[in-house]
Amino acid sequence: GPCRVSMSMTEIRSGFTAIKSNIQARDPIRTLSILSYPDSLHKVKSSDRCCITHHLFNFYVDKVFKHCKTEDSYVNRKISSIANSFLSVKRNLGQCHEQNKCMCGQESTDKFKQILANYEGLNVTSAAIKSLGELDILLDWLEKSR
Amino acid sequence: EDVLLPPQNISILSTNMKHFLTWSPVIVQGETVRYSVEFQGEYEREYANEMWLPICECSLITATVCNITEDISATVAYDLRVRADIGARRSKWGTLKVFFNRITTSLTPPLMKVIADGYHLLVKLEDMGPAFQFYVLYWKKGQESRMQQKVVKEVSSVVHLGTMEAGPDYCVKAQTYVEAINRSSSFSQTQCVRAQGGKSMWLV
Repeated sequence: GPCRVSMSMTEIRSGFTAIKSNIQARDPIRTLSILSYPDSLHKVKSSDRCCITHHLFNFYVDKVFKHCKTEDSYVNRKISSIANSFLSVKRNLGQCHEQNKCMCGQESTDKFKQILANYEGLNVTSAAIKSLGELDILLDWLEKSR
Repeated sequence: EDVLLPPQNISILSTNMKHFLTWSPVIVQGETVRYSVEFQGEYEREYANEMWLPICECSLITATVCNITEDISATVAYDLRVRADIGARRSKWGTLKVFFNRITTSLTPPLMKVIADGYHLLVKLEDMGPAFQFYVLYWKKGQESRMQQKVVKEVSSVVHLGTMEAGPDYCVKAQTYVEAINRSSSFSQTQCVRAQGGKSMWLV
């Protein structure tokens, strides 16, 4: 059967909304996107969605959150809240992947390579803050493709 | 000066997804002891060099309880620690004996009030916060086999369950469901009512 993963979208969304403007204000590079360049996530085929979702949750947990520490304790607490929620989902997605319910086609592999290239094209802190600031792009895409 | 001992008996009281950290007071004659709390999620332990985050609402407080609900916002294992301060004197950290995961919160049956409004069967449910949904079961007394269920995702004022016939009792019971931890409470007490005999028709 398909990969079914429960995700507290409301909690993640409210955690992000609480710090969105603070985080996005720390990202001076307006002309670049990590997740949406050159193509939007919405162009990913439905058969590839699970794989790209799995890749993206690994990406945020392994690479992004740890480089987002700020001087603001409240912002750090919200980032922790999102990061721990992502860790919980990443685990569940990992089980799907092990049960071959989350197959990766060429398109999702290429799309994720592009995201990594966009990320590694910036210095790590800028890339991490920009990726965190684009979380609503990911959340919108996840909700639409449920 | 004596060493300031760390707080002891650190534990968590968690009911209906509201989580409170408590500890025993550190007693030092003639002194006001203040406490500070920090938390660490599984993410911090595994990916962020075991970083601890302070809870500023519980920094240098005199109370021996801290509401940690806002920070326990994922279904993973959390560690928490508390230390004591008297002026420049500071204790070591005291920590939880075992990690806390909100999946262990205790869920109580919801408070509810069943209302017969003429021939309409209504139920009023307690608002327990955004994490809660409700499963409401209702049936004509004696016809338990024909029980009906209504899922209430958001608590508005009153929920309309259905219309009743005159004469028999109609019974209702409810339980909560928390999707974030995929658990339900036990059912509430059953409440039964009877149609109010056409109140709206007989105005005289």
